[in-house]
Amino acid sequence: MKTENRLESIADLLLEIASILMVSGANTNRVDVNIDRFASVLNCESYSLISQKTMILTVIDNETNENYTKVKNLPAHKIDFTIISAISKVSWNALDEDWSLSRISQEIETIKKQKRYPRLVVLLAVSFAGAGFCKIFGGDYLNLALAFISTFFGLFILQAAHKRKFNTYVSVFLASLTASLLASLGVYFNFGAQPEATLATSILFLVPGVALINSFTDLIDKNVLNGVVRFTNGIMTVLAIALGLFVAMLIFQLK
Amino acid sequence: MTTTILELFEVSAWAGIAAVGFGILFNIPRKAILTVFLLGFGAGFIKFVLLHYNINIVLASLIAASFVGILSLPLAHGIHQPPVVFSIPAVIPMIPGYYAYEMVLSIMSFTFLEKDDSKRLVFMEAIFSNGFTMLFILISLTIGVSLPLLLLRKHTAKRVDLR
Repeated sequence: MKTENRLESIADLLLEIASILMVSGANTNRVDVNIDRFASVLNCESYSLISQKTMILTVIDNETNENYTKVKNLPAHKIDFTIISAISKVSWNALDEDWSLSRISQEIETIKKQKRYPRLVVLLAVSFAGAGFCKIFGGDYLNLALAFISTFFGLFILQAAHKRKFNTYVSVFLASLTASLLASLGVYFNFGAQPEATLATSILFLVPGVALINSFTDLIDKNVLNGVVRFTNGIMTVLAIALGLFVAMLIFQLK
Repeated sequence: MTTTILELFEVSAWAGIAAVGFGILFNIPRKAILTVFLLGFGAGFIKFVLLHYNINIVLASLIAASFVGILSLPLAHGIHQPPVVFSIPAVIPMIPGYYAYEMVLSIMSFTFLEKDDSKRLVFMEAIFSNGFTMLFILISLTIGVSLPLLLLRKHTAKRVDLR
Protein backbone atom coordinates (compact mmCIF):
# COMPACT_ATOMS: atom_id res chain seq x y z
CA MET A 1 0.00 0.00 0.00
CA LYS A 2 2.76 2.38 0.92
CA THR A 3 4.65 1.84 -2.34
CA GLU A 4 1.47 2.50 -4.28
CA ASN A 5 1.12 5.89 -2.59
CA ARG A 6 4.75 6.62 -3.42
CA LEU A 7 4.24 5.54 -7.00
CA GLU A 8 1.12 7.65 -7.28
CA SER A 9 2.91 10.77 -6.11
CA ILE A 10 5.80 10.00 -8.49
CA ALA A 11 3.34 9.63 -11.37
CA ASP A 12 1.70 12.93 -10.37
CA LEU A 13 5.04 14.69 -10.24
CA LEU A 14 6.24 13.31 -13.58
CA LEU A 15 2.95 14.20 -15.27
CA GLU A 16 3.12 17.67 -13.78
CA ILE A 17 6.66 18.17 -15.14
CA ALA A 18 5.74 16.75 -18.54
CA SER A 19 2.67 18.96 -18.82
CA ILE A 20 4.58 22.12 -17.83
CA LEU A 21 7.26 21.33 -20.40
CA MET A 22 4.77 20.57 -23.16
CA VAL A 23 2.74 23.70 -22.48
CA SER A 24 5.89 25.85 -22.38
CA GLY A 25 6.84 24.84 -25.91
CA ALA A 26 9.33 21.98 -25.54
CA ASN A 27 9.40 19.42 -28.33
CA THR A 28 8.25 15.90 -27.57
CA ASN A 29 11.76 14.48 -27.41
CA ARG A 30 12.79 17.00 -24.77
CA VAL A 31 9.75 16.10 -22.65
CA ASP A 32 10.60 12.39 -22.95
CA VAL A 33 14.25 12.88 -22.04
CA ASN A 34 13.46 15.06 -19.03
CA ILE A 35 10.85 12.63 -17.72
CA ASP A 36 13.24 9.69 -18.08
CA ARG A 37 15.91 11.61 -16.21
CA PHE A 38 13.61 12.41 -13.28
CA ALA A 39 12.30 8.83 -13.22
CA SER A 40 15.81 7.43 -13.00
CA VAL A 41 16.57 9.75 -10.06
CA LEU A 42 13.52 8.33 -8.27
CA ASN A 43 14.63 4.77 -9.05
CA CYS A 44 11.74 4.12 -11.44
CA GLU A 45 11.15 3.51 -15.09
CA SER A 46 8.54 5.54 -16.94
CA TYR A 47 6.65 4.98 -20.16
CA SER A 48 4.45 7.69 -21.58
CA LEU A 49 2.10 8.58 -24.40
CA ILE A 50 2.37 12.30 -25.00
CA SER A 51 -0.07 14.28 -27.09
CA GLN A 52 -0.99 17.94 -27.27
CA LYS A 53 -4.00 17.77 -24.95
CA THR A 54 -3.60 14.60 -22.90
CA MET A 55 -0.78 12.51 -21.43
CA ILE A 56 -0.76 8.93 -20.21
CA LEU A 57 2.14 7.82 -18.03
CA THR A 58 3.06 4.54 -16.37
CA VAL A 59 5.76 4.38 -13.69
CA ILE A 60 7.34 1.09 -12.69
CA ASP A 61 9.30 0.70 -9.49
CA ASN A 62 12.72 -0.77 -10.31
CA GLU A 63 12.87 -2.87 -7.13
CA THR A 64 9.35 -4.16 -6.55
CA ASN A 65 8.17 -4.05 -10.20
CA GLU A 66 4.90 -2.51 -9.05
CA ASN A 67 3.37 -0.09 -11.50
CA TYR A 68 0.99 2.82 -11.57
CA THR A 69 -0.72 4.49 -14.53
CA LYS A 70 -2.32 7.89 -14.70
CA VAL A 71 -3.83 10.22 -17.30
CA LYS A 72 -3.63 14.01 -17.25
CA ASN A 73 -5.24 16.70 -19.37
CA LEU A 74 -3.01 19.61 -20.33
CA PRO A 75 -3.87 23.28 -19.78
CA ALA A 76 -3.69 25.84 -22.60
CA HIS A 77 -0.28 26.28 -24.21
CA LYS A 78 1.80 29.31 -23.27
CA ILE A 79 5.39 29.40 -24.47
CA ASP A 80 7.89 29.96 -21.67
CA PHE A 81 11.56 29.17 -22.26
CA THR A 82 12.60 30.13 -18.73
CA ILE A 83 10.59 27.18 -17.43
CA ILE A 84 12.16 24.80 -19.97
CA SER A 85 15.61 26.00 -18.98
CA ALA A 86 14.89 25.81 -15.24
CA ILE A 87 13.43 22.29 -15.41
CA SER A 88 16.40 21.10 -17.42
CA LYS A 89 18.73 22.49 -14.75
CA VAL A 90 16.74 20.91 -11.91
CA SER A 91 16.84 17.55 -13.68
CA TRP A 92 20.63 17.62 -13.93
CA ASN A 93 21.05 18.76 -10.33
CA ALA A 94 18.65 16.06 -9.19
CA LEU A 95 20.62 13.45 -11.12
CA ASP A 96 24.00 14.60 -9.80
CA GLU A 97 22.94 15.04 -6.17
CA ASP A 98 20.36 12.24 -6.03
CA TRP A 99 17.43 14.38 -4.88
CA SER A 100 14.40 13.00 -3.05
CA LEU A 101 10.81 13.18 -4.29
CA SER A 102 9.83 16.04 -1.98
CA ARG A 103 12.92 18.10 -2.91
CA ILE A 104 12.08 17.80 -6.61
CA SER A 105 8.41 18.72 -6.19
CA GLN A 106 9.45 21.70 -4.05
CA GLU A 107 11.76 22.94 -6.83
CA ILE A 108 9.02 22.44 -9.46
CA GLU A 109 6.64 24.51 -7.33
CA THR A 110 9.13 27.41 -7.19
CA ILE A 111 9.64 27.17 -10.96
CA LYS A 112 5.89 27.36 -11.52
CA LYS A 113 5.70 30.54 -9.47
CA GLN A 114 8.33 32.37 -11.54
CA LYS A 115 7.18 35.66 -13.02
CA ARG A 116 7.08 36.50 -16.71
CA TYR A 117 8.30 39.78 -18.17
CA PRO A 118 5.89 42.67 -17.43
CA ARG A 119 3.19 43.19 -20.06
CA LEU A 120 4.53 46.55 -21.22
CA VAL A 121 8.05 45.18 -21.70
CA VAL A 122 6.67 42.35 -23.85
CA LEU A 123 4.55 44.78 -25.88
CA LEU A 124 7.52 47.08 -26.53
CA ALA A 125 9.96 44.24 -27.30
CA VAL A 126 7.62 42.59 -29.79
CA SER A 127 6.87 45.95 -31.40
CA PHE A 128 10.61 46.47 -31.87
CA ALA A 129 10.73 43.00 -33.41
CA GLY A 130 7.94 44.06 -35.81
CA ALA A 131 9.94 47.15 -36.74
CA GLY A 132 12.99 44.91 -37.25
CA PHE A 133 11.05 42.69 -39.64
CA CYS A 134 9.97 45.78 -41.55
CA LYS A 135 13.62 46.84 -41.88
CA ILE A 136 14.57 43.35 -43.10
CA PHE A 137 11.95 43.61 -45.85
CA GLY A 138 13.28 46.95 -46.99
CA GLY A 139 11.13 49.55 -45.25
CA ASP A 140 12.47 52.99 -44.35
CA TYR A 141 12.19 54.51 -40.87
CA LEU A 142 8.68 55.91 -41.48
CA ASN A 143 7.52 52.39 -42.40
CA LEU A 144 9.31 51.05 -39.34
CA ALA A 145 7.43 53.45 -37.09
CA LEU A 146 4.08 52.35 -38.49
CA ALA A 147 5.06 48.67 -38.22
CA PHE A 148 5.94 49.35 -34.58
CA ILE A 149 2.54 50.91 -33.89
CA SER A 150 0.59 48.21 -35.76
CA THR A 151 2.40 45.41 -33.95
CA PHE A 152 1.90 47.13 -30.60
CA PHE A 153 -1.87 47.39 -30.96
CA GLY A 154 -2.17 43.97 -32.61
CA LEU A 155 -0.40 42.31 -29.68
CA PHE A 156 -2.41 44.41 -27.24
CA ILE A 157 -5.64 43.05 -28.74
CA LEU A 158 -4.22 39.50 -28.74
CA GLN A 159 -3.39 39.70 -25.02
CA ALA A 160 -6.78 41.24 -24.21
CA ALA A 161 -8.58 38.48 -26.13
CA HIS A 162 -6.48 35.79 -24.39
CA LYS A 163 -7.41 37.26 -21.03
CA ARG A 164 -11.11 37.05 -21.88
CA LYS A 165 -10.57 33.39 -22.86
CA PHE A 166 -11.54 33.80 -26.51
CA ASN A 167 -10.92 30.93 -28.88
CA THR A 168 -7.23 31.03 -29.94
CA TYR A 169 -7.95 31.43 -33.63
CA VAL A 170 -10.54 34.15 -33.00
CA SER A 171 -7.96 36.04 -30.92
CA VAL A 172 -5.37 35.67 -33.66
CA PHE A 173 -7.89 36.85 -36.26
CA LEU A 174 -8.77 39.93 -34.20
CA ALA A 175 -5.09 40.74 -33.62
CA SER A 176 -4.26 40.29 -37.30
CA LEU A 177 -7.22 42.46 -38.30
CA THR A 178 -6.17 45.24 -35.92
CA ALA A 179 -2.53 45.20 -37.01
CA SER A 180 -3.28 45.06 -40.73
CA LEU A 181 -5.98 47.76 -40.53
CA LEU A 182 -3.42 50.12 -38.99
CA ALA A 183 -0.77 49.12 -41.53
CA SER A 184 -3.26 49.49 -44.40
CA LEU A 185 -3.62 53.16 -43.48
CA GLY A 186 0.03 53.49 -44.50
CA VAL A 187 -0.62 51.89 -47.89
CA TYR A 188 -3.79 53.93 -48.40
CA PHE A 189 -2.06 57.24 -47.77
CA ASN A 190 1.19 56.06 -49.41
CA PHE A 191 3.24 56.56 -46.29
CA GLY A 192 7.06 56.21 -46.51
CA ALA A 193 9.12 54.42 -49.15
CA GLN A 194 7.61 50.94 -48.99
CA PRO A 195 4.20 50.88 -47.30
CA GLU A 196 3.60 47.30 -48.54
CA ALA A 197 6.55 46.15 -46.43
CA THR A 198 4.75 47.53 -43.37
CA LEU A 199 1.57 45.68 -44.26
CA ALA A 200 3.40 42.40 -44.82
CA THR A 201 5.43 42.64 -41.61
CA SER A 202 2.86 44.10 -39.22
CA ILE A 203 1.31 40.64 -38.79
CA LEU A 204 4.52 38.59 -38.60
CA PHE A 205 4.54 38.66 -34.79
CA LEU A 206 1.58 36.25 -34.96
CA VAL A 207 3.38 33.65 -37.09
CA PRO A 208 3.57 30.45 -35.00
CA GLY A 209 7.33 30.01 -35.33
CA VAL A 210 7.80 27.75 -32.32
CA ALA A 211 4.91 25.47 -33.33
CA LEU A 212 6.27 25.12 -36.87
CA ILE A 213 9.89 24.51 -35.83
CA ASN A 214 8.81 22.03 -33.14
CA SER A 215 6.58 20.27 -35.64
CA PHE A 216 9.54 19.54 -37.89
CA THR A 217 11.84 18.50 -35.04
CA ASP A 218 9.08 16.14 -33.86
CA LEU A 219 8.77 14.71 -37.36
CA ILE A 220 12.55 14.20 -37.54
CA ASP A 221 12.43 12.41 -34.16
CA LYS A 222 9.61 10.21 -35.56
CA ASN A 223 7.04 11.66 -33.17
CA VAL A 224 4.84 11.85 -36.23
CA LEU A 225 1.48 12.39 -34.54
CA ASN A 226 2.68 15.32 -32.43
CA GLY A 227 4.52 16.74 -35.41
CA VAL A 228 1.42 16.64 -37.59
CA VAL A 229 -0.75 18.10 -34.83
CA ARG A 230 1.68 20.98 -34.30
CA PHE A 231 1.88 21.59 -38.04
CA THR A 232 -1.91 21.63 -38.34
CA ASN A 233 -2.18 24.05 -35.42
CA GLY A 234 0.42 26.23 -37.11
CA ILE A 235 -1.43 26.20 -40.43
CA MET A 236 -4.72 27.05 -38.68
CA THR A 237 -3.02 30.04 -37.06
CA VAL A 238 -1.58 31.14 -40.41
CA LEU A 239 -5.07 30.91 -41.94
CA ALA A 240 -6.51 33.03 -39.11
CA ILE A 241 -3.77 35.63 -39.73
CA ALA A 242 -4.47 35.59 -43.46
CA LEU A 243 -8.20 36.03 -42.90
CA GLY A 244 -7.61 39.12 -40.76
CA LEU A 245 -5.26 40.54 -43.38
CA PHE A 246 -7.70 39.77 -46.17
CA VAL A 247 -10.60 41.51 -44.44
CA ALA A 248 -8.43 44.59 -43.83
CA MET A 249 -7.41 44.65 -47.50
CA LEU A 250 -11.05 44.31 -48.59
CA ILE A 251 -12.05 47.23 -46.36
CA PHE A 252 -9.34 49.44 -47.86
CA GLN A 253 -9.85 48.02 -51.37
CA LEU A 254 -6.13 47.16 -51.71
CA LYS A 255 -4.77 44.66 -54.20
CA MET B 1 31.17 49.12 -50.89
CA THR B 2 31.35 50.62 -47.39
CA THR B 3 27.72 51.76 -47.61
CA THR B 4 26.70 48.22 -48.57
CA ILE B 5 28.56 46.82 -45.58
CA LEU B 6 27.06 49.45 -43.28
CA GLU B 7 23.59 48.64 -44.59
CA LEU B 8 24.24 44.95 -44.02
CA PHE B 9 25.23 45.68 -40.43
CA GLU B 10 22.15 47.85 -39.91
CA VAL B 11 19.76 45.19 -41.23
CA SER B 12 21.53 42.47 -39.23
CA ALA B 13 21.25 44.56 -36.07
CA TRP B 14 17.49 44.78 -36.66
CA ALA B 15 17.44 40.99 -37.14
CA GLY B 16 19.11 40.72 -33.72
CA ILE B 17 16.53 43.08 -32.21
CA ALA B 18 13.72 41.02 -33.75
CA ALA B 19 15.25 37.87 -32.24
CA VAL B 20 15.37 39.47 -28.78
CA GLY B 21 11.78 40.74 -29.16
CA PHE B 22 10.57 37.23 -29.82
CA GLY B 23 12.80 35.89 -27.08
CA ILE B 24 11.04 38.17 -24.60
CA LEU B 25 7.65 37.06 -25.95
CA PHE B 26 8.77 33.48 -25.27
CA ASN B 27 10.01 34.53 -21.82
CA ILE B 28 13.68 33.56 -22.20
CA PRO B 29 15.86 33.90 -19.07
CA ARG B 30 17.47 37.35 -18.64
CA LYS B 31 20.96 35.86 -18.92
CA ALA B 32 20.21 34.62 -22.46
CA ILE B 33 19.15 37.98 -23.94
CA LEU B 34 22.62 39.11 -25.08
CA THR B 35 23.36 35.68 -26.54
CA VAL B 36 20.09 35.71 -28.47
CA PHE B 37 20.88 39.16 -29.85
CA LEU B 38 24.36 38.11 -31.00
CA LEU B 39 23.10 34.86 -32.54
CA GLY B 40 20.25 36.67 -34.33
CA PHE B 41 22.69 39.32 -35.53
CA GLY B 42 25.21 36.73 -36.76
CA ALA B 43 22.59 34.60 -38.49
CA GLY B 44 21.07 37.68 -40.13
CA PHE B 45 24.48 38.88 -41.26
CA ILE B 46 25.38 35.53 -42.83
CA LYS B 47 22.00 35.30 -44.56
CA PHE B 48 22.11 38.83 -45.98
CA VAL B 49 25.71 38.46 -47.19
CA LEU B 50 24.79 35.22 -48.98
CA LEU B 51 21.67 36.83 -50.46
CA HIS B 52 23.85 39.74 -51.58
CA TYR B 53 25.92 37.27 -53.63
CA ASN B 54 22.73 35.88 -55.19
CA ILE B 55 22.71 32.60 -53.30
CA ASN B 56 19.28 30.97 -53.16
CA ILE B 57 17.32 31.94 -50.04
CA VAL B 58 16.75 28.32 -48.99
CA LEU B 59 20.48 27.56 -49.00
CA ALA B 60 21.25 30.88 -47.31
CA SER B 61 18.72 30.11 -44.55
CA LEU B 62 20.16 26.62 -44.10
CA ILE B 63 23.70 27.97 -43.69
CA ALA B 64 22.61 30.74 -41.32
CA ALA B 65 20.51 28.33 -39.23
CA SER B 66 23.41 25.85 -39.09
CA PHE B 67 25.58 28.67 -37.77
CA VAL B 68 23.06 29.11 -34.95
CA GLY B 69 22.77 25.37 -34.37
CA ILE B 70 26.51 24.75 -34.24
CA LEU B 71 27.28 27.76 -32.02
CA SER B 72 24.42 26.94 -29.66
CA LEU B 73 26.26 23.80 -28.46
CA PRO B 74 29.31 25.50 -26.89
CA LEU B 75 27.05 28.38 -25.77
CA ALA B 76 24.74 25.93 -23.98
CA HIS B 77 27.77 24.78 -21.99
CA GLY B 78 28.96 28.35 -21.44
CA ILE B 79 25.80 29.88 -19.96
CA HIS B 80 24.20 26.68 -18.68
CA GLN B 81 20.94 26.78 -20.60
CA PRO B 82 19.49 24.18 -22.96
CA PRO B 83 20.23 25.12 -26.62
CA VAL B 84 16.56 25.63 -27.63
CA VAL B 85 16.32 28.64 -25.34
CA PHE B 86 18.47 30.73 -27.64
CA SER B 87 18.49 28.82 -30.92
CA ILE B 88 14.74 29.12 -31.61
CA PRO B 89 14.44 32.89 -30.96
CA ALA B 90 17.58 33.45 -33.06
CA VAL B 91 16.10 31.80 -36.16
CA ILE B 92 12.62 33.31 -35.75
CA PRO B 93 13.58 36.41 -37.86
CA MET B 94 14.33 34.01 -40.71
CA ILE B 95 10.84 32.42 -40.57
CA PRO B 96 9.52 32.86 -44.13
CA GLY B 97 6.56 35.03 -43.14
CA TYR B 98 6.77 37.07 -46.32
CA TYR B 99 6.45 33.98 -48.52
CA ALA B 100 3.52 32.75 -46.45
CA TYR B 101 1.91 36.17 -46.85
CA GLU B 102 2.44 36.16 -50.64
CA MET B 103 1.14 32.61 -50.92
CA VAL B 104 -2.02 33.29 -48.95
CA LEU B 105 -2.73 36.50 -50.85
CA SER B 106 -2.31 34.64 -54.15
CA ILE B 107 -4.69 31.92 -52.95
CA MET B 108 -7.25 34.54 -51.96
CA SER B 109 -6.94 36.38 -55.28
CA PHE B 110 -7.03 33.11 -57.21
CA THR B 111 -10.16 31.91 -55.46
CA PHE B 112 -12.20 35.03 -54.88
CA LEU B 113 -11.08 37.98 -56.95
CA GLU B 114 -9.72 37.11 -60.38
CA LYS B 115 -11.96 35.78 -63.16
CA ASP B 116 -9.56 36.13 -66.12
CA ASP B 117 -7.93 32.73 -66.84
CA SER B 118 -4.50 33.97 -67.94
CA LYS B 119 -4.18 36.10 -64.80
CA ARG B 120 -5.30 33.19 -62.64
CA LEU B 121 -2.39 31.21 -64.10
CA VAL B 122 -0.01 33.84 -62.76
CA PHE B 123 -1.54 33.44 -59.29
CA MET B 124 -1.22 29.66 -59.61
CA GLU B 125 2.50 30.06 -60.25
CA ALA B 126 2.79 32.44 -57.29
CA ILE B 127 0.99 30.00 -54.95
CA PHE B 128 3.35 27.17 -55.83
CA SER B 129 6.65 29.07 -55.91
CA ASN B 130 5.95 30.98 -52.68
CA GLY B 131 4.42 27.99 -50.91
CA PHE B 132 7.27 25.62 -51.63
CA THR B 133 9.92 28.25 -50.89
CA MET B 134 8.24 28.75 -47.52
CA LEU B 135 8.14 25.01 -46.83
CA PHE B 136 11.77 24.45 -47.79
CA ILE B 137 12.97 27.42 -45.73
CA LEU B 138 11.08 26.05 -42.72
CA ILE B 139 12.64 22.62 -43.18
CA SER B 140 16.13 24.07 -43.61
CA LEU B 141 15.73 26.21 -40.47
CA THR B 142 14.77 23.14 -38.46
CA ILE B 143 17.55 21.01 -39.89
CA GLY B 144 20.08 23.79 -39.34
CA VAL B 145 19.08 24.25 -35.70
CA SER B 146 18.94 20.56 -34.81
CA LEU B 147 21.80 19.46 -37.10
CA PRO B 148 24.62 19.29 -34.52
CA LEU B 149 22.59 17.22 -32.07
CA LEU B 150 21.38 14.99 -34.90
CA LEU B 151 24.91 14.45 -36.18
CA LEU B 152 26.32 13.70 -32.74
CA ARG B 153 23.40 11.31 -32.07
CA LYS B 154 22.93 12.81 -28.63
CA HIS B 155 19.66 13.76 -27.02
CA THR B 156 21.21 16.32 -24.76
CA ALA B 157 23.81 19.02 -25.11
CA LYS B 158 25.14 18.36 -21.62
CA ARG B 159 26.83 15.04 -22.39
CA VAL B 160 28.50 16.20 -25.61
CA ASP B 161 32.23 16.26 -25.06
CA LEU B 162 33.66 19.42 -26.58
CA ARG B 163 37.31 18.62 -25.95
